[in-house]
Parts: sequence; structure tokens; C-alpha cells
Amino acid sequence: MSLALEGITKRFGDFTAVDSVTLEARDGEFVVLLGPSGCGKSTLLRVAAGLEHADAGRVRIGGRDVTEMEPRDRDIAMVFQSYALYPHMSVAGNIAYPLRIRKRPAGEIAAEVRRTASTLGLADLLERRPRELSGGQRQRVALARAIIRRPKAFLMDEPLSNLDARLRVEMRFELRRLHHELKTVTLYVTHDQAEAMTLADRIAVIHNGRLVQFDTPANIYHRPANLFVAGFLGSPSMNFMEDGKVTLGVRPEDIEVSFDQRPGWRSGRVWVCEDLGNETLVRIAVGADQVTARMPGGVGAAFDAPVWFRFDEAKVHRFDQATGEKKR
Amino acid sequence: MKTALRYALAALAVAAAIAPIWWLVTISLKREIDHFASPPVWIAFQPTLDHYREAFFLRPFGAYLWHSALVAAGSTILALVLGVPAAYALARFRWPGQFRDKVGFWILSQRMLPPIVTCVPLLLMLRQLRLLDSLAALAVVYTAFNLPFVIWMMRGFFEEIPAEIEEAAMLDGESRLGALMRVVLPIASPGLAATAVFCLIVAWNEFLFALMLSQTQHGTTLPVGIASSVTQYEIKWGAMSAAGVVAMAPVFLFAAVVQKYLVRGLSLGAVKG
Repeated sequence: MSLALEGITKRFGDFTAVDSVTLEARDGEFVVLLGPSGCGKSTLLRVAAGLEHADAGRVRIGGRDVTEMEPRDRDIAMVFQSYALYPHMSVAGNIAYPLRIRKRPAGEIAAEVRRTASTLGLADLLERRPRELSGGQRQRVALARAIIRRPKAFLMDEPLSNLDARLRVEMRFELRRLHHELKTVTLYVTHDQAEAMTLADRIAVIHNGRLVQFDTPANIYHRPANLFVAGFLGSPSMNFMEDGKVTLGVRPEDIEVSFDQRPGWRSGRVWVCEDLGNETLVRIAVGADQVTARMPGGVGAAFDAPVWFRFDEAKVHRFDQATGEKKR
Repeated sequence: MKTALRYALAALAVAAAIAPIWWLVTISLKREIDHFASPPVWIAFQPTLDHYREAFFLRPFGAYLWHSALVAAGSTILALVLGVPAAYALARFRWPGQFRDKVGFWILSQRMLPPIVTCVPLLLMLRQLRLLDSLAALAVVYTAFNLPFVIWMMRGFFEEIPAEIEEAAMLDGESRLGALMRVVLPIASPGLAATAVFCLIVAWNEFLFALMLSQTQHGTTLPVGIASSVTQYEIKWGAMSAAGVVAMAPVFLFAAVVQKYLVRGLSLGAVKG
């Protein structure tokens, strides 16, 4: 089953939240909608879900036009940031609910609930109420409720954002594995580039309601189509410098740094040096500008120490200063 | 010293609140001869159920009680059936511009009207419709009174429920109505119960319209029946008190059951909007 959005536009009053976005998640593909908050990615997801009605464009699931269909007729499941569990039902009741609405036989429902719950490690919690669960457990219940009826597509709206950092990484692994096992086409909204890079088969970068680049994580990272994508992905972010009508962009790892003078290299002073253990981030002051370089862990440098650096020319990105688009 | 004063004042307030109720209950149980005893008999009297027998077997208070129950239950159900969907629409649907608040305030403003100003027009309308002296008409009038309250209070309860929960239900396979009935209302059920009890109490206690719109015993509710025991020739203190005690009992019971939600619901309606 594929999930296609064709020319989707959504306005709220005078504000255009989504501006003619076209993208298709192919059968079994995990597509991440990535962008800053307020960029329209959640609205786009809600249009796919049928919770918002697009002002223009079509939504197709498995080739079938579902644009005019109610959410319940689209055969999709959604996981929300707030989990949106039913507080008046037990964990078992929550997981069983999509099957109960479909009036499946009680025995079949019970078996499916047990199977799904054990997949997600919820077998011992079935009698609990959502309020008695931790955030991570609630997230699993929401996932179980989504996967139990094997929908045609999954929609996930920042499902990990309410978890603490460690649990988020843990759930990221589990989500990736779960998707590998289910192979259900997934649209996943996040503003977290690490989630996007690790989970996605392809990333759709959304900015101001427009799709600005739709490509594999590697291409998004190494071949950003414009200044916005270049600056949004990567931590610390890409260094930008003006050079005539062109903006040059260099990632911190593409800068070579030396504390001894080298002929032909640019010179500067150490502004701040951060040793993170596995890597060291050196911020170099060059006149009024600053450049951040990534070095191996364990590098120590004194404040204001003289430093020399050069760019890996093959990896310098060039963007048109007026349009922000990549120069060929 | 300060604490003692505080307790003394509280005790005084409690005594002032309870004394009339105590007096009502004791009169209903006292022999007629003790009603006017001087000095008054507060505690030590010979109890009797004669007044209850008189009120509910010799006089038609039993029928009035039944009328009151019918009108209260009917108007409450009607107000909820009409008010809950309206409240849901106010809480959830997208409204153009400021309309949500404007419509909400307009609905609330219906309660600011002194009810008596509608009395004459209502009387004339119901007369034209030949609905005077009918319990159904009374139930409709009480529904109109309670509707703004139901809408305002339920709107607050609905707004407390995250919209994502219903959206999840709709994606799980519910229609909007199904999500409302099977997910939203169960979650809001404490609020629904409190709202229902409030409507019941208002309708149960209402006197003015019940008096104006009833003309014979067929349309008489308990408060009107009690008041009508004060006649030109005699005042049946015993029977009135007995009926009064019976009229009071369900209100006490309901209020005790839902007072927690009632206070929360009322303050919720007060601060939101």
C-alpha cells in the first residue's frame, strides 16, 4: 500500500499552513516529515488522516482516492504525541477498541490483544488504567492500539516527543524494528533531526508549508537542496560564509583543524572548545565571524589559542545568495 | 481565642441554617396541639405520623409528588438531550471569527433574564396552544430554563477533554457521534451527572411557573400543592410540613452525592469563557 499526497493545500483564514505539497510514500516505506514547529507538517499529517479537510489536492491510499472519506473509512491508524489513550478503559480495553468497533468475535479480540501486548511488552499491564502507566508504557499502548488491526498505513505525530531523552532513543530503535517487521507504509512527523535520520527511508523536509526536499537521509544530509535544509540538519549546524553572490556552507566535520601553523590555511583563535568525549567541538573566531569544527574526542585547547583550519573543498556546498537554492 | 470565636460564629451559622429545617421536620411529626405550644416544644414531644397519612392519603400530595417527579425527570432528560450536543458543538467545532464566544455568551445571557418577565407571554402562548395545566408544558418551560446551564456547564467539561482522544477514536473506526457517545461522554460522565442533578433540583423546586401555568390538580406540582394548603379558612401546618419534608429529601440526597462535582462544574463555568 502506498500513501500519496497530491497538491495538498490547507489554509486557516489568511494563513496558508500547507502549500501545494505533493509526496508519495511507497509501499512499506517509512517517510518522515521533518521541519521546525509551525511549518505545517502536522497539518499535512492531519489531512492524510482526514482530521482536516484540504482546500485543494487529493489523498490516495493504495491508489484509492480517500480525499472525501471520513477518518474511520480510510483504514489508517494514528499515534499522537499525547498518546490520546482512553482514560476510562483498561490497557486491554484500549488495545482492543479498534477491533471491538469492528465487531470482531470476542475470542479473536482477546487473542489479538494478548499477541499484540506481548509484542510490545505490555502483557503484565493489561488490567491497568492509562493513568497508572509511565510515559513509555503509555506510548507502547498507543502503538499497540495502532498496530492491532493491521491498517493500510500508520500516521505518527511526534510520538516520542513527550518521552525523556534516553527513552526516546530506546523507542526509536523499537519503532525501527517494528516497522521492519510490519512493513506498513508510515508517515512520521517530527522536528527532531536525529529521529528523522535514524527512522526514515526518505525524509520530506517541510518549511513554511512547502516541501523543500524529499530524499534519503544520506542525500538530505550530504546534498541539501537549499540553505534551509543545509542549516536545519546537522548538529552543530553547517557553517555559512558569504563569498560574493554565493553562500558557502561547510559542515563541522569537513573542516580540518591544526594548532600548528600550516601554509595556505586560514587562521583564527579558539573561541570555545567543548570536549564531548567521543568528539570535540571547536568554535573558532575569524575576525567577526565564527566557525565550528568537529574534531576527535580528547582535544584540549586554551581559550584564544591561535588555530589554523581549512575546508575540505570537495565538501563545500554553494548556495545562491538571492534564492538560497543550491548552485549546480 | 480567635479560633473559639470562629467556631462560635460557625456554630451560629449552622444553627441558623438548620433551625428552620428542624422546625419543619418536628412539626411534621408533632401532634397538632404541640404546634402552638408556648414555650415551643423543640425536642421532647410525642411523635405521630398522622400528618403524613393526611398529606399523602387524605389529600392529593401523593399525586403532586408524582407530578413533580415526572416534570423534573422529563425536563432534565430533555435539557440534556438538547444541551449536550449544543455544548459539544460549542466546545469542538470550528466557528468563524468570534462566533464561538458570542454564541456562548448569548446562551448564558438567557439566564440573566429575571424569569418572571417571561411569565405573561408564556401564559398567553400556552393558552393559545391549549397547553395550560399540563405537565408536558411545564417540562418544556423548565427545559428552556435549564438549557443554558446545561450548555455552559457541559461545554466546560468537554473542553477539558483533549481533542486528540476523540480523534483517536475516529481513526480507530468511530463516527463523530460514536466517539461522542462511547468515548467523550463516558469520560465526561461525572460532569454529566452533576449537570443532571442541578437540572433536577431546579425543576423540582420551581414554584413560580408551576403556580402560573397550573389551574387544577392535574397540573399541580409539590411546591404549588404545599403552598395551596394555606387557604382562606385554615392553614394545615402538619400536612404542609409532612409534604415539605418529603419534597426536601431527594434534593438533599442528590446534593450530597454530587456536591464535589457541582462546585467544580459551577466554578468551571464561571472562569472559562
